[in-house]
Amino acid sequence: MDKQDKTSILVLDDEPIVLKRLQPALERAGYTVETFSRSADAFDRVDGKTFDIVITDLKMEGSDGMAFLTHVKKRAPKTEVIVITGFATMDTAKESFKKGVFDFLAKPFKLGELLEAVKKAEARIKADKNA
Amino acid sequence: MNSSNKIKNIGKRIIKSIPFFSSWLKRDSEKMSFTTVFARFQDILELNNQILDLMATISNKLGGDYIFDRNYIESSSHLMADLIAKLISNFNILTHGKYRQLNDVFRKINREIEKELSGKLVIPETDYVIPYSSLTRDFSEVAGGKNSNIAELKNQLGLTVPHGFAITTRAFQSFLEYNNLTEKVNIILHAWRGGDKTTEKASLEIRELIDKGKIPPDIQKAFNWGLDNLKTYSDDKKIGLAVRSSALGEDSEHSFAGQYESFLNIFPEDLGKNYKAVIASTYSASAMEYRLQKDFSDQEVAMSVACQMMINPVASGVIYTLDPVSPERRVLLITGTWGLGAPLVSGRIDGDSFVVLREPGHKILELEIVRKKETLVPSDKGGCVFQSVPNEKQTQATISETQVKFLAETALAIERYFKKPQDIEWCLDKNNQFYILQARQLNIASKISAVINDISSIVHKYPVIFSKKGAIVQKGIALGKVFVVNNEEDLENFPNEGAILVTHQFSPILARVVKQAHGIITDIGSPTGHMASIAREFSVPSIVNTKIATKLLTNGEEITIDAEENVIYRGRIEELSLYEFSHDNIGEYYEYRLLRRILKRITPLNLVDPKANNFNPEGCETFHDITRFIHEKAVKALREVNFYSQRKSDILARKLDSKVPLELMMIDIGGGLKENAGRKKVTEDEILCLPMIEFLKGVDAPGAWDNEPMSVDFGSFMSSMTRTFSTGAASPRAIGQNLAVMSKEYVNISLRLGYHFSMIVAYISEEINNNYAYFRFNGGVTDPVRRGRRAKFIGRTLEKKGFYVDIRKDLMVARIKKISKESLKEKLYLIGKMVSFTRQLDVKMVDDDQIDLFIKKFEELEKLEELEELKKLEVKNTEQA
Repeated sequence: MDKQDKTSILVLDDEPIVLKRLQPALERAGYTVETFSRSADAFDRVDGKTFDIVITDLKMEGSDGMAFLTHVKKRAPKTEVIVITGFATMDTAKESFKKGVFDFLAKPFKLGELLEAVKKAEARIKADKNA
Repeated sequence: MNSSNKIKNIGKRIIKSIPFFSSWLKRDSEKMSFTTVFARFQDILELNNQILDLMATISNKLGGDYIFDRNYIESSSHLMADLIAKLISNFNILTHGKYRQLNDVFRKINREIEKELSGKLVIPETDYVIPYSSLTRDFSEVAGGKNSNIAELKNQLGLTVPHGFAITTRAFQSFLEYNNLTEKVNIILHAWRGGDKTTEKASLEIRELIDKGKIPPDIQKAFNWGLDNLKTYSDDKKIGLAVRSSALGEDSEHSFAGQYESFLNIFPEDLGKNYKAVIASTYSASAMEYRLQKDFSDQEVAMSVACQMMINPVASGVIYTLDPVSPERRVLLITGTWGLGAPLVSGRIDGDSFVVLREPGHKILELEIVRKKETLVPSDKGGCVFQSVPNEKQTQATISETQVKFLAETALAIERYFKKPQDIEWCLDKNNQFYILQARQLNIASKISAVINDISSIVHKYPVIFSKKGAIVQKGIALGKVFVVNNEEDLENFPNEGAILVTHQFSPILARVVKQAHGIITDIGSPTGHMASIAREFSVPSIVNTKIATKLLTNGEEITIDAEENVIYRGRIEELSLYEFSHDNIGEYYEYRLLRRILKRITPLNLVDPKANNFNPEGCETFHDITRFIHEKAVKALREVNFYSQRKSDILARKLDSKVPLELMMIDIGGGLKENAGRKKVTEDEILCLPMIEFLKGVDAPGAWDNEPMSVDFGSFMSSMTRTFSTGAASPRAIGQNLAVMSKEYVNISLRLGYHFSMIVAYISEEINNNYAYFRFNGGVTDPVRRGRRAKFIGRTLEKKGFYVDIRKDLMVARIKKISKESLKEKLYLIGKMVSFTRQLDVKMVDDDQIDLFIKKFEELEKLEELEELKKLEVKNTEQA
């Protein structure tokens, strides 16, 4: 497959372990992946490039994932956002879905669960393109 | 304080000083209604389950399927501590603070966990020097990988290793502190991490600091003690030493191979000097770079050192349990050379090489004998020198075919024990004794996953014995021969070389052989039980609660357990175990090591045997120990509650109106009887208490009660059955009516029938972990020998039915726990039947043969029951027709 055709994913999480584990797993599954542990860098990056899928934590030290995902959806409504968070409450889940989030995973989650969510998001993107 | 209170307090003090009053006061304050006691007990059970569940949940995260972060480690550690604190508090109420020391134990463990969470390496208080004979892998934090692996091989697998001792990380820390180096080293490291110093410069500065340091007198004293110890093993007055690094993490999932210094054949008086050189190598430039690259924090650095007695070997070499280049060949690679192995390891010289099949039999596929011109040997002057090899030995094989096979077997045992492919150093002395010098993980995971790409098509060739039965306790693959354990004695015969342990019930008593087991399969048991944690601790692939394992698997057959997909195959599927080795090495991440270190304070179970001396609060080293201790003692406390003094006026004692004359008084503490049950007399159909219902069904089983086994006349039999016991031998609290205290799920029955006394305690619910039954039986009308025979008859019969049985003289105690509601109902039925059947059986127990005879008779009863069932069916069918 040509590199251009690959689904692009941005991952933002302030805990390096999450990035270290997600990057190779997503790459093995055939995606191009960029990871960020500082939200300022991630803000900059999404302004320069439109990603197919964004995976972000909600609560991070010194920043708010909700603000980031709001920014992403405003800039590129077609980007599908998957939230991963260790502080999952009904309220944050509801608010996320209101903002147009595609899926919501509570940490800790299984790698397979995330890959599944990514696959579904990818399917929706493809369906939208064909529609 | 006002004056009247003062007077009251003084009064209390005076009363307390008089022994009689003080005990009387205590009694009063300790008096708790049974309802209160029972409520605490139920809370304890509930907490016990939550804790075991949480332990399993957290341990699961190390399995590699999950993505978790630091926040998770913190929050789940805190939740765990909360639950343990609540458990202890409930338990203290139940036992009137009898085990208050548990609070201190809890605080100590929790402090260590908090310290780990704060990022500090917790170095346990320990000696500066630990001899190999008392070292286990539990000490790997203080003794390092090399020391603890080698000691484990000696102490657990019984392999021959050099005599030696570990110089612990505590000595390292004390050395730094004594010489005021801790802060200085940190400043240099900080500058290096910040990019203000090159690695080379930082390394040089730190090594100089260490080199200038003095060995503290305490440490020197410990060295001398360790050396004196070593000298007792040698006939020679002059011993040589091998001093090697044994850093934390080295030799386990991380291979710092070649990063640190080693010194061979040094004199004992030079130990201090060489010790400094080895610990200085912690800060060699390459080691610093490696740690940076591998995400080790500076906090995790603590060097321990191995000090071993030098062996002057005839031959030495290396074993790889897999070919790192082509693991799919399923061979071991063994190399050998004359003299010391160091030049072979460093690649300076070539050695003989043997390619050996991993499969039992260990056929040698290839061998290459090279010309060995020179050999490294220990020198009289200390250190080692190269010598030329005499002509006739240059092309001679260093080890024989038999020796090659022996090494292969040994190496695979080590691999199974550590669950990863191994890189092993061996040597052979002039007495033909093999030594294992070192064993560490061979890191070839990526290579394996590259060659095994379609595992599913390989395993499809093997017949499936059963699949998807029961629950996986520990993932993994195990190959081996089946060994069925029916009782404790079988455990004695568990093969040293290991086997697949197949047993009816997953019980703590199996802990002894878990380490030797390649895998474990059980008929019943819970994946969150105590034993499951042990299987996880030693990462023994295990599947529990299969219902049918002991029926379908026979002693000695070769099987493969796939505890990833939950399938049992006939035959050895070597590829599957290779595949297992290829899984991601998640130990690379700091968070995994942190979680593992924290779990070390939570999940290991040291209190295995309630009869052992360490079964007390002081013996608790982990949260699991505390939980186990409390569970055991809480059940005991409830068993021993003095019902007779507990009976308060607000609790009704009602008599059971049953078919068989049990003379049983019942106290309902919640849901055990129908609300509209009689106030004075209760009929069997008014009972809701599940274990009581089953017990009574058993008592009333066909043929059990009216099967009249004794030759005494009927009248005296009836009187002996119902009269209260009042000989001096009986304890005062046992005198009284037959009594049952019960709720919907719980029953505690104290029963005298004839001259024997039994106690039955049981709890039956949907929650498998809460379920247990306890049956205690003693006394009798005849001589102790006959009574003993009866105890044996009961014990052996119950053992066959899955109970764990302890017989001491005429006392028989049978226990079973953590089995499903339906299975436990059957057990209560069985106990009832047994009570009924044996009420005066000891009269008949004239010789030992009677034991087996009555076991048979009892089994015949079961056939009788089946017949009755059939009859009922027939009647039903006829009626329908």
